Amino acid sequence: MGVKIVQRHGKTLREKLYLPAIFGGMKTTLRHFTANLSDTPQIKTFSYPEEQPQDITERYRGVHRLTKREDGSVRCVACFMCATACPAECIFIEAQEREDGVDEKMPRRFDIDLLECVFCGACVEACPCDAIRMDSGIFSFIGKKREDFIQTKEQLLAREAKENR
Amino acid sequence: MVSLSVDGKRIEVRENTLLIEALLSQGISIPHFCYHPALGKDGNCRMCMVEIEGQKRPQIACDTLVKEGMVVRTKGEKIDRVKRSILEMELINHPIDCPICDQAGECSLQNYYMDVGLYESRLTTPKVRGKKHVDLGANVVLDQERCVLCTRCVRFTEKITKTHELGVLSRGDHSVIDTFPGEKLNNPYAMNVVDLCPVGALTSKDFRFAKRVWFLQSEKAICNRCARGCSIFVDHHKEKYGSEKIYRYRPRLNEAINGYFICDAGRLSYAHENALFDAQAMIRGKVSEYDYAEGKWLRLLKRYLGKTLFLISSSLGLEEFVRLQKLAKLYDIALSAYEPDRFDDRFGDTFLKCADRSANARALPLLGIDDTQEGFQKALQNAELIVLIGRHDVALILDAPCRKSVVVLDAGGMTCEEVELMLPVASHTQKEGTYINVEGYVQYSACMIANDKGRKSLLELLGTVLGDGMVRAQEIWEEEIVRLEPFQNLSFAMLSSTPRIVL
Ligand code: SF4
Ligand code: SF4
Ligand code: SF4
Ligand code: SF4
Ligand code: FES
Repeated sequence: MGVKIVQRHGKTLREKLYLPAIFGGMKTTLRHFTANLSDTPQIKTFSYPEEQPQDITERYRGVHRLTKREDGSVRCVACFMCATACPAECIFIEAQEREDGVDEKMPRRFDIDLLECVFCGACVEACPCDAIRMDSGIFSFIGKKREDFIQTKEQLLAREAKENR
Repeated sequence: MVSLSVDGKRIEVRENTLLIEALLSQGISIPHFCYHPALGKDGNCRMCMVEIEGQKRPQIACDTLVKEGMVVRTKGEKIDRVKRSILEMELINHPIDCPICDQAGECSLQNYYMDVGLYESRLTTPKVRGKKHVDLGANVVLDQERCVLCTRCVRFTEKITKTHELGVLSRGDHSVIDTFPGEKLNNPYAMNVVDLCPVGALTSKDFRFAKRVWFLQSEKAICNRCARGCSIFVDHHKEKYGSEKIYRYRPRLNEAINGYFICDAGRLSYAHENALFDAQAMIRGKVSEYDYAEGKWLRLLKRYLGKTLFLISSSLGLEEFVRLQKLAKLYDIALSAYEPDRFDDRFGDTFLKCADRSANARALPLLGIDDTQEGFQKALQNAELIVLIGRHDVALILDAPCRKSVVVLDAGGMTCEEVELMLPVASHTQKEGTYINVEGYVQYSACMIANDKGRKSLLELLGTVLGDGMVRAQEIWEEEIVRLEPFQNLSFAMLSSTPRIVL
């Protein structure tokens, strides 16, 4: 195995004292503090949740939804591409024969565990059918139990895309 | 021997070999649909084109015999263009259903497209449509649109099963595979066409939509449903938060025993294995902790020392036989492998299936284990504790006139209050072992699917009783089996080449 020797920094007395660096940092903090205090509307934060963010763009990766075909049937064909691509392995699919005659295969179960999901969007990229999207604009998801965070096929299908404002 | 040059490399092969066989035997990949080692050449798909020096046009490797000094090119811009054009033609009417096709991931069309295809479609006319979901019978589903008309399936029913159920109907673009009117695919080996079909035209109804193949892990094993002992792959997967499950058995090439095929009964027997995975330890019909049940087995064994009969299954592994025999000798335990239901004449045929349903009964006479009815009856009279090992046909004992204590050490099965203890042990696909087939071929089954229920294998239980802790097949081979007369010329390492012994 190759071993890389990394030289340690901080050998000089000035560095060993730490204090000059700490004061340097505090100076920056203090500068921002006084600037913000003298001009509050300039501050880059808002009082969430009373104020809601207005900058959720179209490409924002929110909570997933499953899309539908023109005839209202589920677009997903249970190909498992999303589950294969998912780095968190949080998509749980069971396939079944399709009964509505639109195609051959559809999901019986399609669960996404939002507690495990890292919102990377790999599932959306992987889907060959444009059946899964993250354009709901939902950035905050609340539940009381762990089970509330497991989004089922029905919940995912009921969700709509965010209205473009 | 003749020597030829392939892509600038010299290779030596036997005379009268087909060029495609020569190439494949050297590990050179050559796309092909219609050629199959078990079915021979047909020359209809043109996918196996190679360049041969001195010939004006590219030639098909499956219908060319090797010649001394032949100079062959399988790679290069020119030959790749030829392959790409043929592939493009194959795909003209192909539905490209990969997202819903069970073959995806092990499909020759997909693989060749990734190797030599990667073209932009030039198709502007609509594709010719076919029937999508034709139930051919015998668990085989046909998708006519996906078929590349290689006729492997047709030739299988002609040459191997000689049942002639399948044929090519219609002409040109409309050619399709189908059964003859009013007929169904109906033979005990029919599901092999699913493996033979290079694409997703023939898929298994049993495996339909069950799992995408890239999730599956394959383990090498031996089928234990009859005395042939066909080599198989066990495809299993443990889903996140789920437990291990077997999804299918597939034939594994073994020229000595089963070639490229297995019977449908063996293929579908994986479901039986799955059902065993959940068995629990039971004491007098009530569920018990495994550790407590194991302690009880040791206590019972001790209490009935000298008055015990081991009634063993003849389908146990060679290692298990040897260890059981050792234990029986040490503690004066009677040993019998009598099985009234061993033979099933309706099952046997002249191809692979054997009427003898035992996976390893050939080892019994070699080791001197008794399997006669008289031997069993005599041993039963003297015994007070009967331990059924690898079997659970308790009726055989419970029908006996005098009361006995019954213990079952098996992968699973029914228990009742009359059974003192049922201690589940690792099932066939959860344990390694060596099996001797009907012709004397010795095979090692390496499939050891982890069991998440914490149950032990029979070898582990025996290792504890014998106190030497030998639990792996290799140790037992090296320490004990090679010392036995019939196996002295063998070694554990030799098992991978399926040696044969005289029965
Ligand atoms: S966003 Fe990423 S982590 Fe979440 S389900 Fe999709 S692929 Fe998995
Ligand atoms: S959402 Fe898309 S990628 Fe996932 S299973 Fe359905 S069709 Fe396939
Ligand atoms: S046969 Fe192969 S290429 Fe055709 S749909 Fe199935 S996986 Fe895709
Ligand atoms: S169904 Fe499969 S095996 Fe039969 S001809 Fe078509 S592609 Fe070949
Ligand atoms: S494999 Fe050679 S023509 Fe089909």
